[in-house]
Amino acid sequence: MRRREVASALALLSRQALPSLLSIALALLVCFFAIALSKSDFAVAADAYLQMLWGGLGDLPTFFATGNWALLTRAWGESAAKAALLTFTGLAVSVAFCVGLFNIGAQGQMTVGAIVAAVIGAKLHAPPGIHPILAVVGAAGAGALYALLPAVLKLRRGVHEVISTIMLNWVAVSLVENWLVVGPLRATASGDLSRSGTDEILRTAELPRILGSLSRLNAGFVLALVAALGVWFWLKRTSHGFEARAVGLGMEAARTAGIDVRRRVYQAMVLAGALAGTAGAVWVLGTEYKFPATVGAPYGFDGIAISLIGQNHPLGVCAAALFFGLLRAGGTRMQLLGVHKSFPELIQGLALLFVAGRLIWERFLGSGAKPRAAPIETTRA
Amino acid sequence: MLEVIEAILSSTLDYAPALIFAALGAVLSERAGVVNIGVEGMMRVGAFAAALAALALPTGIAAGAGMLAGAALASIHAYLSIRWRSDQVISGMALNLVALAGITFLLETRYSPSGTPPIVQLQRWGLGSLAAVPLLRVLSGHSVMTYLALGIPILFHILLFRTPAGLRLRAVGEKPIAAATLGISVAMVRYAAVIGGGLLAGLGGAVLSISTLDRFEQHMPAGLGFIALAAMVFGRWTPLGAFGAATFFAGGNALRIGLASSAPQVLQIVPQGFLLALPYLLTLLVLAAQGTKSRAPAALGVPFET
Repeated sequence: MRRREVASALALLSRQALPSLLSIALALLVCFFAIALSKSDFAVAADAYLQMLWGGLGDLPTFFATGNWALLTRAWGESAAKAALLTFTGLAVSVAFCVGLFNIGAQGQMTVGAIVAAVIGAKLHAPPGIHPILAVVGAAGAGALYALLPAVLKLRRGVHEVISTIMLNWVAVSLVENWLVVGPLRATASGDLSRSGTDEILRTAELPRILGSLSRLNAGFVLALVAALGVWFWLKRTSHGFEARAVGLGMEAARTAGIDVRRRVYQAMVLAGALAGTAGAVWVLGTEYKFPATVGAPYGFDGIAISLIGQNHPLGVCAAALFFGLLRAGGTRMQLLGVHKSFPELIQGLALLFVAGRLIWERFLGSGAKPRAAPIETTRA
Repeated sequence: MLEVIEAILSSTLDYAPALIFAALGAVLSERAGVVNIGVEGMMRVGAFAAALAALALPTGIAAGAGMLAGAALASIHAYLSIRWRSDQVISGMALNLVALAGITFLLETRYSPSGTPPIVQLQRWGLGSLAAVPLLRVLSGHSVMTYLALGIPILFHILLFRTPAGLRLRAVGEKPIAAATLGISVAMVRYAAVIGGGLLAGLGGAVLSISTLDRFEQHMPAGLGFIALAAMVFGRWTPLGAFGAATFFAGGNALRIGLASSAPQVLQIVPQGFLLALPYLLTLLVLAAQGTKSRAPAALGVPFET
């Protein structure tokens, strides 16, 4: 009996995960040929992939030859830092998906969270154990409020959240990067050195490093894993989570069943914004130690890719974030071979495209899936 | 004072075409009921392809290469969202990510990471006698793109609201089942609209690299595709509305840049960040004020099942 349950769970898992795994494999393949063709050399492409792998996992061959652990821990720290951010923004997108909202605004929510964390980290004085917690909570709160806005606009005024979150992204980026960071919050110049970004956060606000000086691996990664588990628990094991999923499957049906649709949507968007805001906090308190001149990387948009490649399942999101975090940390090593460090982002984008078009190759693979409507229904209020 | 106004109007006419073409492309696609979040990516490939083509060909023809590149990306979007009923927002977003990273990869492989080598910029036309008339003389001295950007919206308006083809397009976007009952091929109209939208967005991108500047730069189009979406919404999904909104946003940008160089003390009071955020804030405000009366096509984003 028990064995049968495990078997069916595994079958379900593989059925859910298979399309994503195949999409990733296909993206890796296409990108392999892209490098091979651009360099007219398959050996270079193979070498580039190997460098990417060693860059993310740690240089295993040299490690086995020398036994130097720092080779591994350093790489793990970089991968984990990227994976933590991707997990948070991925969860921010997938939680909103659960109630049928497409949260394109993770980038803006993360930016707002990051600036709040940078301010609390630099201006507030608190003991070491408490300071990072205050900064993370502040950032999560700011992100949550910023995500609540599109939810209110949707439910009260019928404004589609895709449009409003895109607009709010650029509002946040413009106000934070082109006003706060270059204006009121600009770093105080010390001597002749002009500095970009905000003041550095105090030592007390830094997220503690787990392996000390061996690696930049910090508590943010643990926080991300806990968040993924927490979201999973909320969605699958609490009545609020159950109702949220019901809302996502059909707002009208959920309303008829007596679910307070409005409250569930607000709740999910607040949670989504808090997660994206925490991504900003982890980025500032764990790796940058200040709000630099610009966020630079589109982590919020990456969250969309991670969420969908992870099939909107919290643990799937976590797995996808780990994988792409690893690739992207490894991307820096590809530069040795003249491949741009953003190359893993191309792999990620293509994987998302293949997930979007999964019905095509599912038909060719003959997996028996009947063409049906898009997996995510974009609800209209 | 007159010179300052003329300078701002003139630079508006230089900035606006990219935004106008992209916004019109978005209107064309969304009027047929297909969400077009991928404008940003289409502009990017358009700008890159045009700059590449201009390295070898006359710049005028290079604009066509940019349009084709935009259309190529749009046809992927069309195929996924029409033939396979993929989620249109996801497909558009995926294309944005692919265009962002893919062009960076190509740029790094072939040229420097910062941009392509300079090309011959599109020629600027002088309008002879007009150059003597105050205010009107700002119309002189722009590339052909500026004049196209003033003409195409009107043509598009006539096409959409005064011809049978336009009526079919709107029917497909509002009530595809009714259009299908009348024997209109919903899929064909949508393919045409999305790919046509790609041509326009690609042209918008091409303007950036061959008319506004003289090369492709790594950061292009730097979010302009999203402003184009804002212009589309702000202009209530109509060609003339989108044209007006795009020109208004471009004017705001020209004003900001003009103020930064000629009257920096004003920017002490109103920071640049506020001015940059203004188009988005205004769009949000208009949407919130319109509420459920927003003019989005009724079948927008809904795949059509035959």
